[in-house]
Amino acid sequence: MKLLIVEDDREAAAYLKRALSEAGHTVDYAAEGRDGLMLAAGESYDVIVLDRMLPQIDGLAILRTIRASGVKTPVLLLTALGGIDDRVEGLEAGGDDYLVKPFAFAELLARVNALARRPPPQEVRTELSVADLRLDLLKRSVTRGGQRVDLQPREFQLLEYLMRHAGRVVTRTMLLESVWDFHFDPKTNIVETHMSRLRGKVDRGHACELIHTVRGAGYILREPD
Amino acid sequence: MFRSTSLRLAALYTSGFAVSVVLLGAITVVTTRAALSDQFDARVRAESNALVEEYRVEGLDGLIQAVKERDRTPGALDYGVLDAQGRPMAGRLAKTPAPLGWTISRARPDREPVRILTVALPEGRRLLVGDDDKHIEVLNNALLASFGWTLLGVVILGVLGGYALSRDVHLRLAAISGTAEAIIDGDLARRVPVRGSDDDLDRLALTINRMLDRIAALMESLKQVSNDVAHDLRTPLTRLRQRLEAGLADPAERSQALEGGLADLDSILDTFAALLRIAQIEGGARRAAFRPCHLADIARTVVEAFAPSAEENRQSLTLAVDGARTIDGDVELLTQMLVNLVENALRHAGDGARIEVRVSGGEGGAALSVTDNGPGVPPAEHARLFDRFYRLERSRSTPGSGLGLALVAAVARLHGAEVGLADAGPGLTARVMFPAVA
Repeated sequence: MKLLIVEDDREAAAYLKRALSEAGHTVDYAAEGRDGLMLAAGESYDVIVLDRMLPQIDGLAILRTIRASGVKTPVLLLTALGGIDDRVEGLEAGGDDYLVKPFAFAELLARVNALARRPPPQEVRTELSVADLRLDLLKRSVTRGGQRVDLQPREFQLLEYLMRHAGRVVTRTMLLESVWDFHFDPKTNIVETHMSRLRGKVDRGHACELIHTVRGAGYILREPD
Repeated sequence: MFRSTSLRLAALYTSGFAVSVVLLGAITVVTTRAALSDQFDARVRAESNALVEEYRVEGLDGLIQAVKERDRTPGALDYGVLDAQGRPMAGRLAKTPAPLGWTISRARPDREPVRILTVALPEGRRLLVGDDDKHIEVLNNALLASFGWTLLGVVILGVLGGYALSRDVHLRLAAISGTAEAIIDGDLARRVPVRGSDDDLDRLALTINRMLDRIAALMESLKQVSNDVAHDLRTPLTRLRQRLEAGLADPAERSQALEGGLADLDSILDTFAALLRIAQIEGGARRAAFRPCHLADIARTVVEAFAPSAEENRQSLTLAVDGARTIDGDVELLTQMLVNLVENALRHAGDGARIEVRVSGGEGGAALSVTDNGPGVPPAEHARLFDRFYRLERSRSTPGSGLGLALVAAVARLHGAEVGLADAGPGLTARVMFPAVA
């Protein structure tokens, strides 16, 4: 994928660039708001990683400008500001996701991947399927190999999120934010316990597992090899 | 002093009053004079009519007799009778030549001018009746004098009062600006003196003092945070440093050291984030984002999220709702507050504990409580548990930053709620009482 990083901290940017390249992405980098704006408007990227606080032009101003000029590229905002209002402000300015510094690289990578292959917003899907697992969004029912799987409402949401991001790593924080709407980090292993229950219902008794733990990063639901 | 606002105001008011007194005096004198003149004229005319009647009934001799008699009476008016050739026949005014109608005679310089009414009698004779203006002048002078004294009084009182008033206001304003100067110079504990008279300046002083208290509280909180950070982050940072050093020294331990170091770093960052969040909440800025929140919904989400984790520890986490209430608040912060309380109970109540989250609402307001049947906390420690970094001796070895309840207290304060711990016999109840919404 082709990514653009706009970040004024050169050392941090160089590290991100190297790590994202190693993960198989093509990365352009701008240290300044103006250059970032030019690149964002001129080239076509899959995801833009934008630092919120830049010298000269503020990151939010850049975001508003590129959105106003019709660029729909998903934008992941990076910020040192962790306040709730800051997050809301960033998303209202047209950001698609928001990551507070400092973060684990695995978290950034998972979020970039999650943003990149977002289905176009117009597309309305009523059913999600991975291998022999089917999730009906209208009836809110799940089957595995034709057999009904009974899920609690929260487990259904969890599975829906995993299936929408099938083949990509989702982190614990992404799940906390999108499934529980918890924008803070509980010390308890609630994601782990819900996930283990979900796996028990979805994968138990089946020859191949669909949900996997990715050590140090999160979870992934994918087609068996 | 002369640049004082109150003195200028006092001077303005005094001048205004003085001008009013002068105007009032002038109007009074003029109208009084006019009224008195009318009255005197009426008296002269009445005398004249009476004498003409005398002449008609008693003839010339009767008239002359009447005039002579009146001339002898003290305090009477002045009279004169002239024959057809203008020669005097009787009376003090007979020497005064006079056309018909009203005239003013200044014939005798030692006396006031005299207003004379001359009327024609049959056979060309004339009757003069006059009165001097002396009475009017006397009254006028008395009026002028009294207004003069009043004016003097107004000016003196105005100047003295204005001085006293402006001195008072000046002193009180000087006290306020003195306090501000003292605070600028670093004496942050200084407050504006309050008189207790509950006037506008007193209320201003109270408002300024409240503002100063608020600023002082924020500064105190900031100082506290800095101290806490310096003190409580030093220990984990030292540990991190030691791990990194160990990793450098022994390549065999390197990956273990790095992993441990990362875990240390994450816990430091967590503490840091929690401190910043508490400081942000205590800043009060989030009150602007308050919306109606359903406490029962929040409690349901949290209980449902944590129940599986509780079951793993053979604990039970249940929800009881009696009288659900909507309060004005911040859903995200209220959720985090409840999460912290629930996690606290899960962590400290021990294996097999029963934990109940209860939402209740009545006339007195809504309440949110978390009760466990664990070992509880000695009542003497209850209040201190809400302080930053305060941890019970027996919990020192368990993970946790000691900031969970401090955040609970901060969120409760932001919502105007009271938070407290109570003995649940056995166990502990943490209760947040929200005020009744008016």
